[in-house]
Amino acid sequence: MRKILSLGLAAALLTTTLAGCGGDASETKQAESGATTAAAGGETTPAAQAPAAGGESVEITWWAFPTFAQDSADTPAGTYEAEIVAAFEAKNPDVKVKLETIDFTSGPEKITAAIEAGTVCDVLFDAPGRIISYAQNGKLVKLDDMFTDDYVKDVGNEALLNSCKSDDGSYYMYPISTAAFCMAVSKQALESADAMGCINLEGDRTWTTAQFEEMLQKLSAAGFNGATVYCSGQGGDQGIRAFVTNLYDSQVTNDQVTEYTLNDEGGIKAMTKIKEWVDAGYMLNGSAYNGGEDVDQFVAGNTAFTTLWSPGLASQRADTLAENGIEAIALPFPSEDGVPEMEYLVNGFCVFDTGDAARAEASKKFIDFICNDEEWGPKNVVRTSVFPVRQSMGDLYPGDAQMQFYASLTKYYSPYYNTIKGFAEMRTYWFPMLQAVLNGDSTPEDAVNDFVAKANQSIVNAQ
Amino acid sequence: MKQSKFNKIRMRETVISYAFLAPALFFFCVFVLVPMVMGVVTSLFRYNMKGMTFIGLDNYVNMFKDEVWQKSLVNTVILVLGSVPITVLFALFVAALTYEKNPITRSFFRCVFFLPVVTGTVAVTVVWKWIYDPLNGILNWLLKSMHVIEKNIMWTGDKKFALWAILIILITTSVGQPIILYIASLGNVPKDYVEAASVDGANDLQIFWKIKWPSLLPTTLYIVVITTINSFQCFSLIQLLTSGGPNYRTTTIMYYLYENAFKRFEYGYANAMGVVLALMIGLISFIQFKALGSDVEY
Amino acid sequence: MKKKVNILDGISMALLLLLSFIFIFPFYWILTGAFKSQKVTVKLPPEWFPMSPTLENFRKLMQNPALQWLWNSVFICAVTMLIVCVVSSMAGYVLAKKRFYGQATLFSIFVFAMALPKQVILVPLMKLVSFMGIHDTSWAIILPLCGWPFGVFLMKQFSENIPTELLEAAKIDGSGELLTFSNIVMPIVKPGFGALAIFTFINTWNDYFMQLVMLNSRSKLTISLGVATLQQEFSTNYGVIMAGAAMAAVPIVAVFLMFQNYFTQGITMGAVKG
Repeated sequence: MRKILSLGLAAALLTTTLAGCGGDASETKQAESGATTAAAGGETTPAAQAPAAGGESVEITWWAFPTFAQDSADTPAGTYEAEIVAAFEAKNPDVKVKLETIDFTSGPEKITAAIEAGTVCDVLFDAPGRIISYAQNGKLVKLDDMFTDDYVKDVGNEALLNSCKSDDGSYYMYPISTAAFCMAVSKQALESADAMGCINLEGDRTWTTAQFEEMLQKLSAAGFNGATVYCSGQGGDQGIRAFVTNLYDSQVTNDQVTEYTLNDEGGIKAMTKIKEWVDAGYMLNGSAYNGGEDVDQFVAGNTAFTTLWSPGLASQRADTLAENGIEAIALPFPSEDGVPEMEYLVNGFCVFDTGDAARAEASKKFIDFICNDEEWGPKNVVRTSVFPVRQSMGDLYPGDAQMQFYASLTKYYSPYYNTIKGFAEMRTYWFPMLQAVLNGDSTPEDAVNDFVAKANQSIVNAQ
Repeated sequence: MKQSKFNKIRMRETVISYAFLAPALFFFCVFVLVPMVMGVVTSLFRYNMKGMTFIGLDNYVNMFKDEVWQKSLVNTVILVLGSVPITVLFALFVAALTYEKNPITRSFFRCVFFLPVVTGTVAVTVVWKWIYDPLNGILNWLLKSMHVIEKNIMWTGDKKFALWAILIILITTSVGQPIILYIASLGNVPKDYVEAASVDGANDLQIFWKIKWPSLLPTTLYIVVITTINSFQCFSLIQLLTSGGPNYRTTTIMYYLYENAFKRFEYGYANAMGVVLALMIGLISFIQFKALGSDVEY
Repeated sequence: MKKKVNILDGISMALLLLLSFIFIFPFYWILTGAFKSQKVTVKLPPEWFPMSPTLENFRKLMQNPALQWLWNSVFICAVTMLIVCVVSSMAGYVLAKKRFYGQATLFSIFVFAMALPKQVILVPLMKLVSFMGIHDTSWAIILPLCGWPFGVFLMKQFSENIPTELLEAAKIDGSGELLTFSNIVMPIVKPGFGALAIFTFINTWNDYFMQLVMLNSRSKLTISLGVATLQQEFSTNYGVIMAGAAMAAVPIVAVFLMFQNYFTQGITMGAVKG
């Protein structure tokens, strides 16, 4: 046996060395092809409105996260998207769009795998966090020509426009709609715990951490479960992160978005408080739940509030809430001074660089149709359940008090850090940090400091 | 003269043999050897979406310094050390109890314990996720109504339980084959030897150790090796149940490799981990062959 | 003395039954869960048997290309099985019965590679597969799995049983190599096919990692991957997930129960010979 194994080892080594030369050659080839694509990406692309070359039919693929609301909770993912595609193809018979729906949990990894394998889509409907990191890695087509002066003026929100840019100053994401992440409480639970007095339903519904803590006590005394401090898997981390930072006026990053600052006094205090609340049974240790599951528990009536809520979630879960007889009240996150700083989502599109100019053009045309078509543009914004980035679209939800509340949160937008370098890597440290605190592996202070050190390192790594 | 004729025949045989081997060699070279070489080569590079830079052994150096990698190594070792002995003893226990039963009983138990294997890893994992669910799962309810516990336990999220929760599922999906193997090899132990020994006054334990166990050794070796390799590769359970949490308590090397490749885009680093994992498995299999296989002849 | 043994036997038997229950329960929970409405799935104390069974979960499941997933799985497993059997029996036969240059080296390489977990080469393999343009197709799983040398090893062991006299007699009769292979070798190693086929089928079916990395498109997923996707989309809507799990599990379990003896034989032979 030993003889066989050592022989095998020798043989394997030999073949390794021999094939090693071949391997090197193929690597060089890959590196070269990488260089050419990068060069192609650098070329200025003709205007978006230019017709596809030659009238030949172009086929593009569109990957969509479940951001558009379907007709009802029962309608399968992708139904509405298919309607958009049909409408677009009717107007642009020279372009065929292949639709693929992906989910938030495994979708990001699928995209990564597909980028590496060269089978990625043309058009992706996502948010800046991932899109800008693809841009920083040179995988996207520049969309500068779609940001005309008129368009930029129409959006008129510098923070939001900046979130669509990579650090080379070019635009890589074409935004369609935006809204703040917030939280929600169950009216029924609060009423039976006699805790309605703790929340504020006037004005922008802002409230303080002290009020929030009082609500926790009352809910707990009445036997209700608080929200889970969910942290099992990626997704929904913006919600819980905003919750943490608001409690004692901390910030994830500095104002220039060049450095993580969560380990300031407020951040550490917030984590300490959260740990206390979990230990006291006011909130649940969410090490086994992810964001979506936390929302599931909330709409099922198992927990009295959730720290992950948005107009989109409200409309997606409306049926279940009604079925369970729960009325969800959306609220901004509580903060010490009663002035929240909201993290927000921006929905938008990017175009992957496939090295085929015709497909890139067709993709831009498609994006332009989705966002700016007279009939479909506003309709699509409404389907994202949030607010248009283009002011000229006006109020798409006239008379809807709920939506007016969500709209009021826009003025509390905080610096947008999702485009920071190494964002994807930072996210992989966030939940382990919460888990370490909740499970008592390290003190809140150590955990937050450790997180900030790793997160800052991720900025360096991504240079 | 004779020599050259021999060579000629051998030459002819060689040509024919390679013709027969061609398809297998083709698949093997293209889909095993080439990626293996690619993996080893790229493990020497800082290799991400942006491109590749040669960095020598830095990936390996960083890996051994990487706290999370160390944690995943420990978790992986715990899973292996936990699952291998339990699987062997469990399988031996079930096989010893059932191999002399009538064929119907025997095949009933064989089916029962093989069921998780044919159910499929993913299907088994999703149902366990439901069973483990802290608020809606049956396990907490059951334990609470039997007054074993008072508060809900977060099986997959609690640092005290998470890895064990994984281990239990891992074991249920890996004992099926060993049980079948042990039932077969226990059935093959020559009856005369056993009878002769009991006539000589040997007790059950002596019969087991002196007569049955030696003939079970080859099977045990095989079971130990495959269980080790399977436990080392434990991935789907982690990905679907815990995503490596809480605080890396259930991150295995395999899962960490995946996270580096597909969440952080560090392909070179991931490949370096693959190389180390392969070396470890190779080494351990070799040691197991040596230790258990000293008097096993194939 | 006798009585003591009986008590021990009794305890062992009780333990065995308890363990059996733990092993059967998840499967039972899948089957019954598939027919429970969302409300019932989260009800505690649980409904041990769905009192008002619903097909709702299957309706939701069918809004996904679930049958396509099932077909993809079956297709991938069947084709892999076929190719592996043919390729391995040819290679195994010459490795066992011919004497040729490089034989020992080649065999040791196969043995050595067998001990390596294939997952560790997955990232380069993905690169390679995409270079060939077969990423996100069934072939991205089938072809790499055909390269795994376990089958060669197994079939070599089986081919050792072929009596050398028989092969020599065939040669004297003037039978060509291919003819000898199909008329003499194949019938003798047939039991090996069964073992290898079952091994390959189960391993391919459960090879979740490979499928996860190689397949993207919804219509290309396997049933395992599909169920995993459902779990991510429906998170705690356990009914739908169980319906998917049932669809993944029931066909294979049914085949297993029908051909139980073949499975047992296959697994035993694969191991004892290997």
